[in-house]
Amino acid sequence: MKIVVGEGSCGIAAGAAKVYSALESALNGVNAELTFTGCNGMCFLEPIVDICDKGNLIKRLVRVTPGDAGKIAAFVNGDGDAVKDLEISDDDKAFLDKQTRIALRHCGVINPEKIEEYTATDGYKALRKVLTSMTPEEVIEVIKTSGLAGRGGAGFPTWFKWNAARQSPGEEKYLICNADEGDPGAFMDRAVIESDPHNLIEGMLIGAYAIGAKEAIVYVRAEYPLAISRLEKAISQAEEAGYLGDSILGSGFNCKMRIKAGAGAFVCGEETALIESLQGERGMPRLKPPFPAASGYWYKPSNINNVETFANVSWIILNGGEAFAAMGTENSKGTKVFALTGKVKKGGLVEIPMGKTLRDVIFDIGGGIKEDKEFKAVQMGGPSGGCIPASLLDTRIDYKELAATGAIMGSGGMVVMDSSTCMVSMARFFLDFTAKESCGKCVHCRIGTKRMLEMLDRIVKGKGKDGDIELLEELCFAVKDGALCGLGQTAPNPVLSTIRYFRDEYEAHINEKRCPAHSCGDLLSYSIDPAACRGCTLCSKKCPVGAISGTVKNPHTIDSEACVKCGSCFNVCKFGAVKVN
Amino acid sequence: MMESNLSKIEPVLDRYAAEPGSLITILQHTQEIYGYIPKDVMYRISERTGITPAEIMGVATFYSQFRLKPIGRYLIMLCQGTACHVNGSEKIAAAITNELGISDGETTDDGLFSLKSVACLGCCSLSPVMMINGETYGRLTPDKAVEILRSLRKESENK
Amino acid sequence: MNSIKVKIDGREYVCENGMTVLQVARANGIDIPALCFIDELKPYGACGICTVEAANTPKLLRACATTVFDGMEISTNSDRIRRSRKTALELLLSDHTGDCRGPCSLNCPAGTDCQGYVKLISEGKYKEATALVKERVPLPASIGRVCPHPCETACRRNFVEQPLSIAFLKAFAADRDLASGDKYMPDPAPSSGKSVGIIGGGPAGLTAAYFLAVKGHAVTVYDSMPKMGGMLRYGIPQYRLPKEVLDMEIDTIEKLGVTLRNNIRIGKDISFDEIKTKYDATLVAIGAWQSSSMGVPGEELDGVIGGIDFLRSIALGNPVSIGKNVAVCGGGNTAMDACRSAVRLGAENVYVIYRRTRDEMPAEKVEIDEAEEEGVQYRFLCNPDEITGENGRVNGIKLQKMRLGEPDAGGRRRPVPIEGEFEYTDIDTVIMAIGQRISPEGFDELEFNQRGNISADESTFRTSVEGVFAVGDATNRGASIAIEAIGEAQKASEVIDSYLNGGIIPYKKPYFVEKTVTEADFADRERIPRAKMPQRSPEERKHDFNEINLGLSEETAKAEAKRCLECGCHDYYDCKLIKYANQYDVSPAKYAGEKHNCDKETQLVSIERDQNKCILCNLCVRVCDEEAGKGIIGLVGRGFTTVIKPEFDNVPEVTAFCKDCLKCVASCPTGALKALK
Repeated sequence: MKIVVGEGSCGIAAGAAKVYSALESALNGVNAELTFTGCNGMCFLEPIVDICDKGNLIKRLVRVTPGDAGKIAAFVNGDGDAVKDLEISDDDKAFLDKQTRIALRHCGVINPEKIEEYTATDGYKALRKVLTSMTPEEVIEVIKTSGLAGRGGAGFPTWFKWNAARQSPGEEKYLICNADEGDPGAFMDRAVIESDPHNLIEGMLIGAYAIGAKEAIVYVRAEYPLAISRLEKAISQAEEAGYLGDSILGSGFNCKMRIKAGAGAFVCGEETALIESLQGERGMPRLKPPFPAASGYWYKPSNINNVETFANVSWIILNGGEAFAAMGTENSKGTKVFALTGKVKKGGLVEIPMGKTLRDVIFDIGGGIKEDKEFKAVQMGGPSGGCIPASLLDTRIDYKELAATGAIMGSGGMVVMDSSTCMVSMARFFLDFTAKESCGKCVHCRIGTKRMLEMLDRIVKGKGKDGDIELLEELCFAVKDGALCGLGQTAPNPVLSTIRYFRDEYEAHINEKRCPAHSCGDLLSYSIDPAACRGCTLCSKKCPVGAISGTVKNPHTIDSEACVKCGSCFNVCKFGAVKVN
Repeated sequence: MMESNLSKIEPVLDRYAAEPGSLITILQHTQEIYGYIPKDVMYRISERTGITPAEIMGVATFYSQFRLKPIGRYLIMLCQGTACHVNGSEKIAAAITNELGISDGETTDDGLFSLKSVACLGCCSLSPVMMINGETYGRLTPDKAVEILRSLRKESENK
Repeated sequence: MNSIKVKIDGREYVCENGMTVLQVARANGIDIPALCFIDELKPYGACGICTVEAANTPKLLRACATTVFDGMEISTNSDRIRRSRKTALELLLSDHTGDCRGPCSLNCPAGTDCQGYVKLISEGKYKEATALVKERVPLPASIGRVCPHPCETACRRNFVEQPLSIAFLKAFAADRDLASGDKYMPDPAPSSGKSVGIIGGGPAGLTAAYFLAVKGHAVTVYDSMPKMGGMLRYGIPQYRLPKEVLDMEIDTIEKLGVTLRNNIRIGKDISFDEIKTKYDATLVAIGAWQSSSMGVPGEELDGVIGGIDFLRSIALGNPVSIGKNVAVCGGGNTAMDACRSAVRLGAENVYVIYRRTRDEMPAEKVEIDEAEEEGVQYRFLCNPDEITGENGRVNGIKLQKMRLGEPDAGGRRRPVPIEGEFEYTDIDTVIMAIGQRISPEGFDELEFNQRGNISADESTFRTSVEGVFAVGDATNRGASIAIEAIGEAQKASEVIDSYLNGGIIPYKKPYFVEKTVTEADFADRERIPRAKMPQRSPEERKHDFNEINLGLSEETAKAEAKRCLECGCHDYYDCKLIKYANQYDVSPAKYAGEKHNCDKETQLVSIERDQNKCILCNLCVRVCDEEAGKGIIGLVGRGFTTVIKPEFDNVPEVTAFCKDCLKCVASCPTGALKALK
């Protein structure tokens, strides 16, 4: 039997590494192989342990703790019921069953540190096919047929970029993978690198062959140390196996690959800023044109795609462009991976064909809202995207249809919000992010985002005034129009989309100094209803600043001067006696 | 100014100084070696690479990963991702600030804790999340966060 | 090089392939503003000011970096572009701290470049200083003597010790220029063939005459008095402004070709209609020459005279007999002129009757003090209740005693009568110096406001009659100080010039960046006392009408000029930011928020850097790097908090590399960098 522990970053964070060590001792002397895999995307169930027999998954155990190691050992030793309480429910199983996995097809299935597990699942077959039987033009043609578009956010046709770089004159060309996953709410790229690094390498090599690059570089966020170390291992394995280096697979095609760790700057997700950073400079965007396809890394023709884009390539080569294009809508082909998080019951990675609706993802796969609260909105596209309200839940996953809502497909961050999320505060959150991440080069972004943030700050603090919404909109449009790069041009989206769908919340903050979601601290006041208070003292014990006084079995009171509006009392009161205004 | 042991950076410079575009890599190694990026090391980098000190300073202050000052023994990296925000990371930040008396970017007087807000750590399903010296703590509540800090403090006192 | 055709704003141009939109536009005289671009360096694209639109391109393009192609259609001035540029400028200005102009200049109704001419005086360049003053004020020797100098009120030296003696410095420079034998004469434009008639030869009329003549127009000034100068001649006593000085300055105006016609009263010697039809434009600057009355019983008695009437009589050399006891009612500058003149005419007791106290007196403090030195007696908290007389002639005045009550809307405490408390004083002459009104006779055609003044538009100075403009004491809010009238006249001359050229351009107050300062900002300044104007002793001067001030010595004047704190930006005339700000009619206040706070000015070799004015165009960094090959300054930090610094703030290290090429200073589009030499 084989015991497989899911060890992606979030699995480890949830305790998978501790489970693994516990299993190491528990399985000592037991006839079972202990190994690990990457992330299967069922983050809400981490840590996950799979038990396989003869290559088949026989038990999937969820929310495993180190203390459960003994049960697993007992199961291996024949006690069929030992892990019963750990088994995944049928309902949770559906989370995966309802997905269509291409980019994530090996994630949580193979051991990412073993190239042989990758090759055993058709790994590097596509590369061999390309190098032995296809011209670069034919490769580009297949990608064109597939309709694959950039999964990093903008959705630009991949074949077009490849072709442009291919057509650009010059011997020295570069292929770059953007693994600087910046959307603070998306983590599919990290999952792919951690769980299936060879798939990325293979996709990149095919791309390098197509455009004529002899060098490929992966620009990874420094915040992803595990991804970096697994990719390093994978690169050296691939070099050893002859998939990287000179005359790959004897084809005469040479390509080397290296990793460059980013150093923490969201703007480096922008192509030209990324190139500046690769060159060791401040990550400040260049003027476009020229586009990287003509003048990129070291001013040579370069092509940049993100991780998920490359993760689809080998599948497309093996299965044909038509098979990929058969999935999805008229405008958007294939599948898309989403990082489903926030107030959703089942959070994790979801890969589904384009054309499914938001409702399918959030309710059918994600299981709906935590505590069965009311769905309010879903944020897509992170700091460049927008919030989509409940009325548009039936919008299809499609570049154009999502853009029409004011959000964007983006890299696939999907943060679900319920009635307790204040939309103004949400807009403020994103502007805070973009203002901090603005490189500071162009005026519209450097000062514009700062001013937007200040206005939003005033509004959530109850200091907004009549005309602020209009001024905010005016500034948003100006920044969209005038900013130099994508970061600035899209920075106003979270504000504009929340104004568009939740204008009443803005108005409540400004006109009535009220936060309808009861979330903006400055606009709240807490009090205890003496009729409902039983004098249990719990709230006064939980209060971090000692603002609640009262004796046992007598109604308590809150000193509003001392209260820091943390909401602890409200959360702990079992009798609904704490009121928020 | 304290003088850094410059010999430690020489191997890094031997490897990368001549390679164009490696400034960020060199600075990353510098920080790994010294815990931060000391000024005299920056001058040494300048000497070896020919990159002007002004440019090195420009790069070192552009990326949030780089620190120009030493940090505390425990570096608390508090995730500022969207999912963490939606799940109450602001309250966690308030609790930490309340407990340690430091705000983002500061270090406690005893040099034990530094607090730094970081971009998404990618553990959205466990939000809100913080990472301390490589260890991730998820599904935080203000109480839980404070408990973790107190136990770390105890741990350091027992050492 | 092959030629291609592009269309800019609807017109076709032939240009070389490979040129940028900005290059093509500039080569053809089309102005596209840009802040972060200079020809020597590669385009950078930061400022977002040079944006243009191109047909079939949804995004705005940066003209500095966009290469033209054959058939390209470019628009450089659409609403969308203007909006985008305006927002960029407003955002920049919302984070731009400084003073375009010093408070002296901003507070001067004529906008005189005080800091500029003070600097020239400190360098001994008196003619240049006079020329600079004369860009706004054509009578500097006269005005420098009499102006109540709002410039000095605003002077930041007040935060240190005392204001700079700006007005006297102006008179000093102009006196030197007049005495030089080669006095400054402006260079008038060629004749325009247009003519302007000006009614009134006071400070306003003369100012307008000067500027309109400089612009090449044929100007005739009409005045009802025997000589030109208006209130400067007939309202200000000789001991303050010797008429010889005024004559010399009027002479300059006459030499510019202005025709001066005195002793002509409108409605009597010539009709308003005649002037109006004779000239292409007419300016009414008749002043306010009628003393206001108080409405006190006895005002009709012999021996009761209006303040300005009294002063005029003296100026005309008419015999004036005032007796031994003189009461001057009022607390303004006319009251001071009147009481001090009365002293000089030999009165034994001169009382100034004022219903509030010394602190509330509108007259200048120095005048109040000097009058007292000369023996004037103040009767504060008194108000004339009745002027008594015998045989139709004044013999005394009954005064109602007052106290100060609650402050009024203007903040001054209101005088309240104390019931039943009166005083009586024997008086031979009562001078009513409580204000003045306009005499509208002969101007019936014009529209007057409720106060009885001529209604003139605030920004075009137009009256209700086509082609007729009006300025000064006779208009709108009525009488004020001379420099106010001069300021209006200078602005009106610009408007009239535009009117004569066929399209009226209203005056618009320019936008300036201003900063707020406090005393604390000047705590480290050396205390240097204000230069004292040498004066004749009260004992000596009170017996004649000769000038009481003896004038500043050259040494004192230069030293005084060096006290200037140089608050205004050195780069004001060359600053692109302020130029564009005014072109695009900005209102940055709506984006007010946090600003870069960089108090310290670092000194880099011979360059002074003020990061508060930096717009992060990065030109200095790039020029140092690319042009000078030094790279000793760089961007530090990111986003809003980005600043430009020499490496690690390590000035001594850097100075070793900096060659003082000053290319950075030359490239800076604002006043953030200044060459110290």
